[in-house]
Amino acid sequence: MSDPTANVTDWTSVGRYGASPPGVMLAEATFTAAWNLQGDTSRAPFGGEANRLFDLALPTAPNTTARRAPLTALWLGPTSWLIVASEAHALTDFAAKRDALNAAGGALFDVTASSIGWSVGGPRAETVLAKSCPLDFHARSFADGVCAQSVLGHVNALYYRRNTELFTMLVARSYARGAWKTLCRSALQYGYDVLPPFAF
Amino acid sequence: MTQSHRLPEGGIVDRSRPLRFSFDGAPYEGYAGDTLASALLANGVHLVGRSFKYHRPRGIATAGVEEPNALLQIDVGARTEPNVRASVFPLREGLVAASQNRWPSLSLDAGAVNDVASRLIPAGFYYKTFMWPATSKAWLRYEHVIRHAAGMGRSANAPDPDHYEHQHAHCDVMVIGAGPAGLAAARAAAMTGARVILCDEHPVFGGSLVGASAMVDDGPAAAWIDATTRELKGSSLVTLLLRTTAFGHYDDNLIGLIECVGEDSADGAPRERLWKVRAKSVVLASGAHERAIAYANNDLPGTLLAGAARTYIDRYAVRPGSRAVVFTNNDSAYAAALALQRAGVAVAAVIDPRPDAAIDGQWPREARAAGLPIVPGAAVARAHGRLRVRAVDVVPLSGGAGRRIECDVVCVSGGWNPAVHLFSQARGRLRYDAEHATFVPGSALSQMTPAGAANGRFGLAAALDDGHAAGIEAAYRAGFAAASAPQPPRAAAIATGALQPLWSVPTTRKGDKRFVDLQNDVTVADIALAAREGYRSVEHLKRYTTLGMGTDQGKLSNVVGLALLAEVTGRSIPEVGTTTFRPPYSPVTLGAIPGHATGKEMEPTRCTAMHDWHAERGARFVNTGLWKRPHSYPRAGESPDDAANREATNVRSRVGIVDVSTLGKIELQGNDVAEFLNRAYINRWDTLAVGRCRYGVMLRDDGMVLDDGTTSRLAPTHYLMTTTTVNAVKVMQHLQHLLQIDWPELEVFATSVTEQWAAAALSGPDARRVLAKIVDIDVSNGAFAFLAVRECRVSGANGEIPARVFRMSYSGELAFEIHVPADRGRAMWEAVIAAGEEFGIMPYGTEAMSTLRIEKGHVVIGPEADGRTTADDLGMGSLVNAAKWCIGKPMLARAALSAPDRWQLVGLTAQDGAIMPRGAKIVADPDHALPNPMLGHVTSWCWSPNLDAWIALALVANGRQRHGETLWAVSPLANAKVRVTVGPPCFIDPEGGRLRV
Repeated sequence: MSDPTANVTDWTSVGRYGASPPGVMLAEATFTAAWNLQGDTSRAPFGGEANRLFDLALPTAPNTTARRAPLTALWLGPTSWLIVASEAHALTDFAAKRDALNAAGGALFDVTASSIGWSVGGPRAETVLAKSCPLDFHARSFADGVCAQSVLGHVNALYYRRNTELFTMLVARSYARGAWKTLCRSALQYGYDVLPPFAF
Repeated sequence: MTQSHRLPEGGIVDRSRPLRFSFDGAPYEGYAGDTLASALLANGVHLVGRSFKYHRPRGIATAGVEEPNALLQIDVGARTEPNVRASVFPLREGLVAASQNRWPSLSLDAGAVNDVASRLIPAGFYYKTFMWPATSKAWLRYEHVIRHAAGMGRSANAPDPDHYEHQHAHCDVMVIGAGPAGLAAARAAAMTGARVILCDEHPVFGGSLVGASAMVDDGPAAAWIDATTRELKGSSLVTLLLRTTAFGHYDDNLIGLIECVGEDSADGAPRERLWKVRAKSVVLASGAHERAIAYANNDLPGTLLAGAARTYIDRYAVRPGSRAVVFTNNDSAYAAALALQRAGVAVAAVIDPRPDAAIDGQWPREARAAGLPIVPGAAVARAHGRLRVRAVDVVPLSGGAGRRIECDVVCVSGGWNPAVHLFSQARGRLRYDAEHATFVPGSALSQMTPAGAANGRFGLAAALDDGHAAGIEAAYRAGFAAASAPQPPRAAAIATGALQPLWSVPTTRKGDKRFVDLQNDVTVADIALAAREGYRSVEHLKRYTTLGMGTDQGKLSNVVGLALLAEVTGRSIPEVGTTTFRPPYSPVTLGAIPGHATGKEMEPTRCTAMHDWHAERGARFVNTGLWKRPHSYPRAGESPDDAANREATNVRSRVGIVDVSTLGKIELQGNDVAEFLNRAYINRWDTLAVGRCRYGVMLRDDGMVLDDGTTSRLAPTHYLMTTTTVNAVKVMQHLQHLLQIDWPELEVFATSVTEQWAAAALSGPDARRVLAKIVDIDVSNGAFAFLAVRECRVSGANGEIPARVFRMSYSGELAFEIHVPADRGRAMWEAVIAAGEEFGIMPYGTEAMSTLRIEKGHVVIGPEADGRTTADDLGMGSLVNAAKWCIGKPMLARAALSAPDRWQLVGLTAQDGAIMPRGAKIVADPDHALPNPMLGHVTSWCWSPNLDAWIALALVANGRQRHGETLWAVSPLANAKVRVTVGPPCFIDPEGGRLRV
């Protein structure tokens, strides 16, 4: 089977595609650091140490986030979080923090370059994301601040609803090219703008 | 022809938008809003195809998805599609349609000889007739002829030019069907604040109300449809989908929908969209299908269901003929008779088996008042005509002489079957409703509420009422209740007389065909034959006669067929029961199921950070797992193999660089990592110092080699493990399983950093000189020994890049692995290339890398470690630490694993300049009588440009004791036998001096 959109790549760079006014906005979401924090908050001194190091209460309810701009902590699992910084000064001294967390019974891994981040906004964002992901993105079940790990087509993706208007997602770098194309093609039905990158 | 049968007004067609189309080469015209069937009927065309088995002329029988006859070939070339139901296919400009299953033409079809010879080919004939003579495999020859004669249209033999997409959706209430019940349900559910999806297979809302003259809420039905859909459209919580069929119900209320997006959408839009809807609660308002009555020649073109005739008149403003006979056992067809009369069709008679006194519902009374001639207590016994019905014989059921009535249209109604398909798929049980002589939902389902005609609640007033209640109930089940009870829409109830079951009209003439299943040419006689031959189960009946198979899945025929089976086997209809309803409810385009996951997108592609650089240099890529890796970098006029040999030679003589970003990388932290590694690997890890690396081998529980790689200690409690490219995920899962299930007490945390680091291996005698130019650390042998790791900064044209450099070697040369954050991978690579230019650096691909490792005797997980080999078989037995336990170690004590004839890793060199055959096995004597005892097999082989010979790695019985022996590598497939010398697996620098300089 051939697909007339299979080899199209010219609708993945900054510009407007499809219908106007567009129903979707896409952009790269930039961040300066992304660290995977692991540990058991119920076992001292990890929890206290982690909250002290990042000046942030780690979200412990499943699929929730904590945000203290420019830092966001996303819940990945009962003992795993992703701490994302959108400004360079917000996450520094990796080795010292790693050592402190190791000493406190936890771990800290630098995964900054592992993922590419994208922002998806606009009135049709929920529908467009749902083309390649089985999650329910409606605000009633995916409220502001919710995050969840699922798929974008064949590829793993981490979704995060920053606010009513804006989703941010992370996809592993090596898969990003195909995944971005999937996202653009999904958006084509409603028309979309690809905007210049902006902060996570 | 110019729409000779189009009514001057009415219907929902847009008379300002004429559309031209062709059928069997003849040009016609219809209007926007027509289906292909309504446009053909508007031009007086009834004959549209030949039947599957007997090649009998067939016309348009229905106005919906249940169409058994009007299956046409649509379009030409790559877009051509067979078996398209004209009754639902929307007309479009320039449409090319053709009839199927006829030769040389539709009106004169050679295959019709089957009809004459039908006594030779009764139901199930192919199970019996063509088995004779038993000894000669005659079936194989018959089959060829039968295959040629059967079948309907032709599928395209070019790739599908269209594409299809998927859409997931979630809702509280999914309403299937937007007729009066569905609209009322959606409206009631939406009022509670529930998220609602409403779908309908038609291009307009309203179902049976479209074009009808009924009144709802004291106004015209059209106004109510308009107001209701406008109200629904105004809610952000409601999704309305037209031309969208709910084709299947799956576990946990997953509903499959297929949406026809259509060819007239924006460029690049998909042809169809497959919806996967997860609904908390479902309202099934899918309506009902009318059924026919079997009488002789009831398949002649011009014969259609009474409800369909009414639909063609009301919805499409098409007059189905000039003179009609209506044959019905229930009141609904009287409404059709009245519509026929209004449309200017002469109604010659309404034939009704019921006694005169029983024909007293509101519609029969109106028919009488309108002067329609009603013939009670009678039936149509036979139709006459060749390519179109010309007359019918009407007989009194009490006996006596019949009479012939001229007509060009026969409108039949044998009653209505609720469309319970999805209810049955959802595991709802059906109940036989004697009043309507049909199966209706008979059990309550917590997740699905049938409503309206689908629930056996016939008539507009009942449908509105039932739909409204179902909408409230479904919303309630999803957790929503209205603040105040909304009023249901109202319509006047119509008094209806009871139906009198009539499945077939008896015939005395031999050879008469009374069709039950028009699509599969199954007759009343076939069902009787099946029963006589012992096929008493309705499932057996279906398989023996093909009743209810095909694109319509017996929507007209199933209930009639099982009722006839009940009659001939002397059982009640509920005793016979129904066949199982399975998805899909109606045909689904195959391409919609994979959506975009076809061709290159069948699986995702992974690219390293340096991918574009490789591509720009003309690299030929090879798939390793999902990754694209450069196989080699051929220059102009150079073959990929020559390029690989050049690259491999350059590594041994000067310096090369290879992209190894695809290796699995796992970081481990915690106070117990060394203990964890001790348990997972065969060798010791508690002795590894910070800043050092070590090669390790993991075993499976059964002692066989699982994976290998290096692990480096980056900080006291921080390690980096590498795995093979293909096993990256498997090893990560293995470690997580051990940490979470087996040894949760260990304080070890793991995360995959495969994506984090881009990596390149710099190999060759000049590797150090290249590296020294770009890093800010001392890389001399004294400061940076073999198997050490250092953190440093790589500087290049694009600034400084933080890096981890490992001194380790896969090629056997002086080598360094440079890891940098993936976003800087290309910058690092280009810095190395620039620094290496003066030393003649060349990039090398996986092929040269493979040559270099075969020359060094390094094993690969897969070819050598094939799941049957131990560490000792691979020459690494000494790595198994005697002092500690590890996974798989206890199993190594099995006697078989130290048997003297174990296959062990050796190196082979081809003699006499011969080429090592692929996939060769190793034997002592190539000319030994078969079966030739096998001593082992070649696992990896290559031309070694550095040894100027074909070499191989092989697993050979007792191989380590055979060094110096001459054996044979033979390949019966390639008809090759090559004399080989057995030796140690490492061909170059076995002492490892080159990599330690």
